[in-house]
Amino acid sequence: MSALGGGYFKTSYEADLALVDTRLRRLALTALVLVLLALPRFASGFVLDLVSQAAFAAIGALALNVLTGLAGQISLGHAGFLAAGAFTTAALVERGIVSPLVTLPATALVGGVLGLVVGIPSLRLKGLYLALGTLAMHHVVLYAAGEMQARAGGNTGFTIPAPRLGGLVFRGTVAWYYALVALAALVLVLVVNLQRSRAGRAWMAIRDRDVAAASVGIDVARYKLSAFVWSSVITALAGALFAYHRGFVSVEAFGFFVAVDYIAMIIIGGLGSALGAVLGAAFVTLLPYAIDALVAGVSPDAAQYYVFPAKFGAFGLLMALFLVFEPLGLVGIWRRVRNWVFLWPFRHRPLRASS
Amino acid sequence: MAQALATTLVVASLYALLGAGYVLVYRASRVLNLAQGDLLTLGGYFLFATAATFPGAPALALPLAAALSALTGVLVYVALMRPMAGHPVFAAVLVTVTLGILLRAAIVFVFTDRTRHPLQNLGLSNPPRPLAGGAVVSTFDLVMVGAAVALFAALFVFLKVSPLGIRMRAAGERALLASQRGINFHGVFALSWALAAFAGGLAGMIYSSNVRLEPSLGILGLRAFAVALVGGLDSLGGVVPAALLVAAVEVASVRWGNPLLSDVSPFLCLLVMLLIRPWGFFGTREELERV
Amino acid sequence: MRGGILSAAAAALTLAAALAATAQTPEPYRIGMTVAITGPFSAGYAPTYEAYRTYFKRVNDAGGISGHPVVITYEDDRGEPQRAAAAAKKLTDGALLLINASISPTYKPVMAEAEATKTPLLFGGGVCPREAFPPAAPLIFCTTSFGSKWDSRMALSFIKEQSGGKKVKVGFAAQDIPLSRIELEFAEQHAKELGMDTIPVVVVPGAASDFTPFAQNLKDAGADWVFSWAPWGVEIGVFEALNRIGWKGHYILYGHQPAQDELMRLKAPNLHALTGNAMFIESLPIHAEITKLVQGQTNHPAHYMAEGWTSAMVLEAGLRKCGWPCTREKLAQALSSVSVDTRGLRGGPIEMTADNHYRKATYYKVYRWDAGKNAIVSVGGWSKLDIK
Repeated sequence: MSALGGGYFKTSYEADLALVDTRLRRLALTALVLVLLALPRFASGFVLDLVSQAAFAAIGALALNVLTGLAGQISLGHAGFLAAGAFTTAALVERGIVSPLVTLPATALVGGVLGLVVGIPSLRLKGLYLALGTLAMHHVVLYAAGEMQARAGGNTGFTIPAPRLGGLVFRGTVAWYYALVALAALVLVLVVNLQRSRAGRAWMAIRDRDVAAASVGIDVARYKLSAFVWSSVITALAGALFAYHRGFVSVEAFGFFVAVDYIAMIIIGGLGSALGAVLGAAFVTLLPYAIDALVAGVSPDAAQYYVFPAKFGAFGLLMALFLVFEPLGLVGIWRRVRNWVFLWPFRHRPLRASS
Repeated sequence: MAQALATTLVVASLYALLGAGYVLVYRASRVLNLAQGDLLTLGGYFLFATAATFPGAPALALPLAAALSALTGVLVYVALMRPMAGHPVFAAVLVTVTLGILLRAAIVFVFTDRTRHPLQNLGLSNPPRPLAGGAVVSTFDLVMVGAAVALFAALFVFLKVSPLGIRMRAAGERALLASQRGINFHGVFALSWALAAFAGGLAGMIYSSNVRLEPSLGILGLRAFAVALVGGLDSLGGVVPAALLVAAVEVASVRWGNPLLSDVSPFLCLLVMLLIRPWGFFGTREELERV
Repeated sequence: MRGGILSAAAAALTLAAALAATAQTPEPYRIGMTVAITGPFSAGYAPTYEAYRTYFKRVNDAGGISGHPVVITYEDDRGEPQRAAAAAKKLTDGALLLINASISPTYKPVMAEAEATKTPLLFGGGVCPREAFPPAAPLIFCTTSFGSKWDSRMALSFIKEQSGGKKVKVGFAAQDIPLSRIELEFAEQHAKELGMDTIPVVVVPGAASDFTPFAQNLKDAGADWVFSWAPWGVEIGVFEALNRIGWKGHYILYGHQPAQDELMRLKAPNLHALTGNAMFIESLPIHAEITKLVQGQTNHPAHYMAEGWTSAMVLEAGLRKCGWPCTREKLAQALSSVSVDTRGLRGGPIEMTADNHYRKATYYKVYRWDAGKNAIVSVGGWSKLDIK
């Protein structure tokens, strides 16, 4: 519900179920949508590219959030799912099948099957063991992708032509900006609805106390597998998007550090929250550029040698700080700030279900 | 055949040293230290730094680098792992990942990305040594095997016989009970981390003298955690057979199988183990789900 | 009254100062470079960044080209294709030319961006793409000393020459990256054509913890010579492993930047480094010049700078030929007819034509350690290969 003490009572079921329930939220959302729509008009190509990158990262982070934040299944193999999606698209393009109307469903299918395969150990393993199993899977997927890349012969990767949908060709910064932001919004709505659905509640129950969940009648095995499948399908589709967007697929782009990046996104953003995944994705994507700007402002002539370790180190440091001091992540900070603003001069929210 | 055996022993020693680090940390903090590979790299760079500061004096440089590694372990425990007590395991594992990132950033900041060779400054050489059966290994290959054997023997004696070691085992099993008996488990855990960092650093010092030293050596740690898991995450004794098995699979895949599989073979071993016996050869059975 | 005169005087002074300032900073030549300054592959490419920085600082200090300074914006892509793509997008904004000094996976996205914005693209540190060989793509240029197929041809003819008429068995050590594997498979084919016995290519994962088993494969197969064409780590790792297990054959690899130091460190008489850049042990005047200039300015030693320095020379020649004002088309045309005297850094001049953006002829030298002289020596002089 909301931070406010009272006055927001719903009078119909539709109003109660609405995603955006208060007038203020509707206003804020409309403003955001307008800004996003109008951004290409007054922002440079570089800024649009940054927002596109953040939107793309948000899709992957939301998918990981479903698996790790909602269902509590620790996965270190996120980069493997991305790679699977990208390389499926590449493989189809190699065979002449270029249309997204074919490649995207095929990628979703491959992602789902892989998610199922990776999810089966989760029925027996928990915690560390599951994390290690997913990490091992990641290496196996990358090995297979590397072999495929080598067999293709002559290439150091696969070139993917710009996708055509009907008469529309997606090429150029502006077209991709709209596409990625729209898709990120779509995935966000999907994930938020998943969260509120029966499956979402089951996942959260499994995450908190799976033995208790089983005793209440939740089919733990089925929901664990469905968490993996949902997550891997969305991630594989994100991988296909990556392939189309960059126009180039090579195995070097999917190292373990990518998985760490995504985990950092959901941790820094706030585990278990869709908003957190988006905030975390934006934060982690923009951080290197922010440090770049900072270093350029402070000492423009600094040798690049020191900039990279500084960026890398700052990323690690921030992640460590969030892990130790702010386990609720950016969402926790946001909620505290929002509550302080809305509740002032009161200090605490009224006793009711947390939002 | 003799050569393959010799190589297996050498690779297994490297993995065993790293695996010991994983197990020691797991017993203390119940967490997998994904930065163990970077601790190996750090050990190598400590040796490079001490060798550059005291050229031609290996008797000074080597112990100093080892001491620095151990000190790093203590610092890591105090600064990162102690505050994470009570946090979920996932978060603690991620803190070790960030530790790895920080270590790597620091190394690149100070030493840049260039490949280094500490042996030059130490004034030692690495001549080949023929063995029985036609196998040939390098001097530092033998040092690696010797170090692994010595470390495991020392750890065995320490943990089984010495009072401090017994306290360490107690604290690792049941920290609450141990503290109620008056064991300073923070000190004991710090010691565990120091030993783990020492083991990793030792492996790093030998490897960088034998092969090369560069910031990306941390990747060896990823392959070694398969060893820790196959042997049993909390079993030091399990590390030895697991290391031998994983090394044997790797060498065999190069010599008689598909060489490219050698890169991914530790992970295949890991996967097989996870499917049939997740707690490894000698690990404690943890509660596991039944479908 | 007085206030009015004072403020008028102040305004006039400010205006004069502003005019003088703009008159003193002429429009620069804008160049962009995406380079792997950091990251696991930086050892081969960061020196290019340093060489360019030092070289063009000297050019600018001497007044620039036609009175205009050369401003190069560097972007660190860490060898990652995604970063390189983003960097290329950022850099082509207003740049006359784009330079790529990074690993081959970054090529395709950067080439696509250059193509889309019609920006000339110069490869200054990584292996030359075939788009630079004849028939050359109009916008792609390459100054790097090593190129696929030519290196293998040279190495194999060297092996044949050294074997003095005896039939030799040649082994090949590749890294598990497509470029290396494909090149050595070509080399295997070519060796067969030259009448040599061959062993199937041994492929080594870059992150192998121990190269001994791979070396064992080569030794057991009875290789007299082994040729390796890969990033330096695998090239030298396989050699050291072969030595360790007592192999008595000869090894030839492509001499990347660390080659000079490693030849001196290993002191192995059976290691041969094939390279297109003259090693600094020859102490040519240009070597002394470079050493003096980069003193204290770079993280890498002076003898790593040859590759980047030569590339910077070619760019300078192209910019001089273009003159002022220079556009992308004019620069591409200028580079397509450039002829640069490398002053000994390479075996001969770098001459490009409209059809050949690599060079009309490429030169190689082979170096090895001579125990008797206790120094690195070159085996013979420069060998020339015409690029057709």
